[in-house]
Amino acid sequence: MAVMSPKEFATATPSWWCAGCGDYGVLSALKQALAELGKQPKDVAFVSGIGCSGKISGYLHSYAFHGVHGRALPVATAVKLANHDLTVIAAGGDGDGYAIGAGHFLHAVRRNPNVTYIVMDNQTYGLTKGQSSPTSATGYVTGTSPQGNPDAPINGLAVALAAGGSFLARGFSAHPKKLVDLIKIAVEHDGFSIVEVMSPCVTYNKINTYAWFKENTYYVDETAGYDAGNRSAAFNALLAEGKIPLGVLYRDARPTLESLMRLPAAPLISLDLQAHKSDFVAMQNAYR
Amino acid sequence: MILNDIEIMFGGQAGDGSLTTGDLIAGVFKRMGLEVYTYKDFPSRIRGGHTNYVIRAGERPNYGMADAVDGLVAFDLEAVQAHVDELRPGGFVVFDSSSESVPEQLRRGDVTWYDVPLEKIAKEEMGLGLVRNTISLGVLAKLIGMDPAIVRHDVTGVYQRKGEKVLDLNIRAIEAGEAYVEKHFGEWPSGYALEARPDGDRLLMMGNDAIAYGALVAGCRFMAGYPITPATDVLEWMAKHLPKYGGVALQAEDELAAINMVLGAAFTGVRSMTATSGPGQALMTEAIGLAGVLEIPVVVVECARTGPSTGMPTKTEQSNLNHLIFSGHGEIPRVVLAPGTVEDSFYLTARAFDIAEKYQCPVFVLTEQALCQSKATLPLLDVSKVRVDRGELVTEPVVFGEYERFALTANGVSPRTIPGVEGGMHLAAGSEHSPAGVITENSRNRTRMMDKRLGKLVSMKADLPEAIEHGDPAAEIAIFGYGSNRGPIVEALDRLGRQGVPVRFFEFRTLWPFPEAEVAAFAAGAKHIFVVENNQSGQLERLIRYVTGPLDRMHLVNKYDGKPFRPIEIIEAVERRALLRGPGDSPGAGRQAVRVKR
Repeated sequence: MAVMSPKEFATATPSWWCAGCGDYGVLSALKQALAELGKQPKDVAFVSGIGCSGKISGYLHSYAFHGVHGRALPVATAVKLANHDLTVIAAGGDGDGYAIGAGHFLHAVRRNPNVTYIVMDNQTYGLTKGQSSPTSATGYVTGTSPQGNPDAPINGLAVALAAGGSFLARGFSAHPKKLVDLIKIAVEHDGFSIVEVMSPCVTYNKINTYAWFKENTYYVDETAGYDAGNRSAAFNALLAEGKIPLGVLYRDARPTLESLMRLPAAPLISLDLQAHKSDFVAMQNAYR
Repeated sequence: MILNDIEIMFGGQAGDGSLTTGDLIAGVFKRMGLEVYTYKDFPSRIRGGHTNYVIRAGERPNYGMADAVDGLVAFDLEAVQAHVDELRPGGFVVFDSSSESVPEQLRRGDVTWYDVPLEKIAKEEMGLGLVRNTISLGVLAKLIGMDPAIVRHDVTGVYQRKGEKVLDLNIRAIEAGEAYVEKHFGEWPSGYALEARPDGDRLLMMGNDAIAYGALVAGCRFMAGYPITPATDVLEWMAKHLPKYGGVALQAEDELAAINMVLGAAFTGVRSMTATSGPGQALMTEAIGLAGVLEIPVVVVECARTGPSTGMPTKTEQSNLNHLIFSGHGEIPRVVLAPGTVEDSFYLTARAFDIAEKYQCPVFVLTEQALCQSKATLPLLDVSKVRVDRGELVTEPVVFGEYERFALTANGVSPRTIPGVEGGMHLAAGSEHSPAGVITENSRNRTRMMDKRLGKLVSMKADLPEAIEHGDPAAEIAIFGYGSNRGPIVEALDRLGRQGVPVRFFEFRTLWPFPEAEVAAFAAGAKHIFVVENNQSGQLERLIRYVTGPLDRMHLVNKYDGKPFRPIEIIEAVERRALLRGPGDSPGAGRQAVRVKR
């Protein structure tokens, strides 16, 4: 495996994120992880949604797809089915994944394609200037919720676990080394791997700040006896009141979508479209 | 005696098996060498509710309903109440008289009534009520002279796989039906007789099957869809056949996912499609705009039904034309193709993939319930006619930094790399971008990129399927139409021609980009122009009017009751408007809708 430099994954495009945005940490960890895994930019398909987080696909040198709001996962799933030799990564924010794209999130979990999904969670809508998001706390005051957000926050990883998720991890964008490791393990997981990253919005979210996350998180692998193969333990950690668990929370070997669909060994894109002509002619016999 | 032209209608409750029997009859007619068209008129429910299945057979390829029903097989009184008025004088009714009788006021005197206790015979003589369908087939076969050997051959074909016992039961049911006619109606001929001819090398195929088959032959290897009437058949066909050739057919969680999956697979380099109907099409609109700006080739089959909202999900309509052409925010190049026959459904779908890939844009194949869920006889399909032209697809390494995914070119089409190709890495962004794919809001770039993408609508012109111009080119009466209306229009044209009224017909096969020059040329010199379409507002008529400007003698012949045209409806409209016959004519009245209401 060729050792790559993370610079191989850099684009010439300057980022549009605010100074101090948590998304910088996600991007640099992703480049580092792909470099350490020896991936080539030509073999990486990177699909993102809409929002500040969605801009990340423009900053990773790869085959990048910046689609419509909330639909990164259907695109990424099909990219993998079309060419399973590719490393397929999808990324988006809490709004993209848990609000407008929540339906696809559940179904991607059910299907279990070998795709990695990075959810950059800043508990707010940044690009539209700070409205409440599906992970905002109840009572969070914003321009669209002046009397306080009436909705309960979504626990995306717990939802995914209930739906049969095969790999769940959570990182913090200010902990680069840990995040690189989490992304590497996730990319190598054979199945749908979710890495939720606490990625603070320094402009609009004055509550869930870097300091707040440092105070309110812990790593499960620093907890004696935590077994990431134990689904009940994962539920307990995810549902417990108090500090937010980080690290690999759950992993499980489940058949992937590609294996259940019995894809041929060679990727779909390599099929000879001129083949089978005589079979195709013979198919008409069923209609005679 | 009426020879070799007949329309049979089976009417009963949904789920009572009349569809199976209808299919059987269609097969028998086909093997008797006749040309066949079937039309399913069923309710949006699985059990119960009135349903009917029309099978038309004749000596000319018809692809549409006849003026009237010749023979009605009514499994209940509701079928008689619903359809007795549609019978041709001289026609006949086979009525299941087991538990109901037809009131005298419904018993038209100009048709022959054959009361047969179908269910009673089924239960008492066969021991199974369900076989009344097969008994009715025996009755019908005897009444109109269906070839008994072919009837037995086809019944065997259908029931063999259900075991010896079931097959034997159904053969006996045929015999019981035939015997009943001989015993009770031997002296009452139906007035119809069919004469078998060589079947020859022909197929009997449903429109949706032809679409799916065309896609497979054209190299489509990925389909994602969401079940919706009347498009589901396409996904089911692909799910059955695609995996055998290494492809993937996937049922998505909704139409939003389905179309985005199609974009993902196409972006990766696989020929991809979806099939949907109005409500699903509405949900797909945003992503189709994305396909336009990302210059991704996708094929979207629209099997139209009545709208808006749920409408009448199982009934035919042509009200989604505007939606396919104009839907979406922003402007993209897009193509709308519309086959007029089952045969053309195969060829146009196959061509859709070449056009999509050559011009890197979404291509719609527009069809309607009255065509896509209808079966028709057709010649063998020529697989060798289907080319697979992948256009500017780049699979060899390119030089990163020099290569531009959205390069400005003379025809607007840029070489397209796919993931895995060295040097071709780029960002495909729905945001406006530079030729290199970098997101930018620069004004000059915006104008150039818009012109590049939309310029493809002009450069693709020579590759678009041409309209078919039917009839006498010198005729002063011109008809415009498309899709499932081809059948009734062509029949109306033939019959008017035989009456000494020459008519010509412009059958659109490409509806967008709109063939303006061809439409203008065809309209020129016509004293009367008729636009035949199944919608309330005259969507096609307005498009034509954009080209021709206001014309005094343009007539909209439209119908939007969920049913396809019968040829007589078009003939009468022409006679009323152009030949100044019949009631309601007002010369020089300008745009007047000739609404056909039942």
